[in-house]
Amino acid sequence: MLCNASVTSRVNGQVASGPRGRAGTEIMSYRDALHWTMQDALQRHDSVLILGQGVDDHKGIFGSTTGLSQAFGADRVMDTPLAEEGMTGVAIGAALNGLYPIQTHIRADFSLLAMNQIINLAAKYKYMFGGRFDVPMLIRMIVGRSWGQGAQHSQSLQSLFAHIPGLQIVMPSSSQSILDTYPAVIDHYRGPVISFEHRLMYDLQFYVAPQSTQQETEPFGSRLVRPGEEVTIVATSIMVLEAMRAAEHLALVSDIQCEVIDLHCVSSPDWDLVMHSVEKTGRLVVADTSWREYGVCAEVCRVVAERNPGCLKAPVVTLGMQPAPCPTAKCLEDLFYPDLRQLVDALAVLVTGKEIHGLPLPDTQSMADVYKRFKGPF
Amino acid sequence: MENSQKFCELFFQALRIRLVEERIIELYPSDGIQSPVHLSIGQEAVAVGACRNLKKTDLVFCTYRSHAFYLAKGGNLPEMFAELYGKVAGCARGKAGSMHLAAPEVGLMGASAVVASTIPHAVGAALAAKRLGHDQVVVGVFGDGATEEGVYHESLNFAVLHRLPVVFLCENNGLAVHSSQKSRQGYNILEHARSYGLPVYQIAEGYDFVKVADTMSGITQHVRLTREPVFVEIRTYRYKEHVGPGEDFMCGYRKTEEWLAWKQQDPLEQYVNLAETFRPAILKEIDKAVHFAMSSPFPSVEELLRDVV
Ligand SMILES: Cc1ncc(C[n+]2csc(CCOP(=O)(O)OP(=O)(O)O)c2C)c(N)n1
Ligand SMILES: [Mg+2]
Repeated sequence: MLCNASVTSRVNGQVASGPRGRAGTEIMSYRDALHWTMQDALQRHDSVLILGQGVDDHKGIFGSTTGLSQAFGADRVMDTPLAEEGMTGVAIGAALNGLYPIQTHIRADFSLLAMNQIINLAAKYKYMFGGRFDVPMLIRMIVGRSWGQGAQHSQSLQSLFAHIPGLQIVMPSSSQSILDTYPAVIDHYRGPVISFEHRLMYDLQFYVAPQSTQQETEPFGSRLVRPGEEVTIVATSIMVLEAMRAAEHLALVSDIQCEVIDLHCVSSPDWDLVMHSVEKTGRLVVADTSWREYGVCAEVCRVVAERNPGCLKAPVVTLGMQPAPCPTAKCLEDLFYPDLRQLVDALAVLVTGKEIHGLPLPDTQSMADVYKRFKGPF
Repeated sequence: MENSQKFCELFFQALRIRLVEERIIELYPSDGIQSPVHLSIGQEAVAVGACRNLKKTDLVFCTYRSHAFYLAKGGNLPEMFAELYGKVAGCARGKAGSMHLAAPEVGLMGASAVVASTIPHAVGAALAAKRLGHDQVVVGVFGDGATEEGVYHESLNFAVLHRLPVVFLCENNGLAVHSSQKSRQGYNILEHARSYGLPVYQIAEGYDFVKVADTMSGITQHVRLTREPVFVEIRTYRYKEHVGPGEDFMCGYRKTEEWLAWKQQDPLEQYVNLAETFRPAILKEIDKAVHFAMSSPFPSVEELLRDVV
């Protein structure tokens, strides 16, 4: 069983238990959390349908749907033709008539073919018809990174979608985040939700709360993941892990305590949480997985500037991808994404107020390499 | 027939492509090539046959699976290896990797990793050729899976409406990643294309580069003279996994027998002696290209923001 007993019992009074029942489990990979939530949704709701290219094959969307077509039937876990726009429209129609479609894009980039259906239709249906329709559906988009994914297989498009009223955009940064978000969204939210899953996190092991202590959480909230006094880091997706690594490094080598906020739901973040933190620390670093221009970084700055710019003791620092399409050569790709060293340096400069702060920086190592080789749980 | 000059030339070219890709497979575990590779091994005859009758000025637009078309159209081999190695001497200065090869100097107009996305570019280039009075033929290469995308239909319709000099070349390997054609398509590709009102051809023997070359010669000539679109489907077979250097027959989505049957027909597999006579020269060329790639410099920091706007 996943969330708490009340969520499950509200649905069908039964406790879902799959091959990966979570009783007693305290470490779970991102991939297994995804797989668990997919299976849980199929098990608890007859209305759930998973649609996507390759969802039924042996690779099963990087292991997040493997075996589910065999277990639940090819009419519920459905391989689709290569027709992103059409299939999104099909999902919308199905949602309008009683199903809960979960759609997958093995790269977020391919969802660009479905922009019309997502933005002109799914996002508008409720409002445009005066609240007479709901389009409950979840679109899972995977953000690729490293090994030469290049310009068309690596884009992190959250701000493009978050710009559009009517869509909820989440960016799970851990297994727990998936467990807290997907079942709650599928059970309770009646509109279109887009989730950006980061490919580099699939293999990572995370601590998750034991099943017995699971609380029902707000799927669209932001999360305070580390308390601190000197500087606020607002981060998304895998940059939350980078922020935590930076915060831990600084705590080891200095008195600097970073407060880390996982924005999580970039379409409607918990701005009070962000503002309280920035008002407390007076310093803000925003670390996003995408370009800074017109994106999450810009949006966080907008809100701080509108609500209380006077609370800032120093200019805001933003980290994101360099303003270019993603190159494939590894040496360029490593420059394209911000690294831990840059983040730590930016934090140290910001807090000490000195360009030459004298604090030791962590070894430079490509972030892609770190996450590919990381073994222990976060 | 195996003694004819045409056969030998095509055999040489197809073998060259195969040996290049086999070298990629050998090199891959050393992690020098950090790029997803979609190999054309098994499909070389399509590229060499289709490109044989094209002029340098004719244009080809293709997909992420285009090592074969890049080489068949005359793309530079050392620059291709340098690109795979992420070097600044690569055909796209290290920005492309395997999936986005280009060689505009010989009319290879770029490969896209988004399925079906270059089909309309071929149509647009044909529109330009027509308006500017060029005698070019433009070829849009795509897979069977690409015919499921809306943009394919939009492109066919426009090309027919405006009578544009474009060849729609469907490289049908029966698979999109691991999904079989019949699990994805309720239509017959050829009949469906025919319904748009353009001449359609099918070459079932996609391993037979002479047949491909001969048929494509007629098609190319027709398009060059009439300035009208043509559709051609070439059946072929992918020997390797969808992406990556390995084989995947153990994964259960297709049968080894299909592959063995195809190899029985594949001249590169059958004419072993001929292959042996060509092999040393080709390997020498590949050695040089790989050496060039490995010994050339990585892009400098300035490359990161170069060519953005
Ligand atoms: C628009 C889009 N959707 C999905 C993908 C993922 N994808 C990459 S290759 C491929 C299969 C394409 O099959 P086909 O057109 O037959 O070409 P082949 O790989 O067989 O050469 C898919 C689905 C993509 N790259 N672009
Ligand atoms: Mg195919």
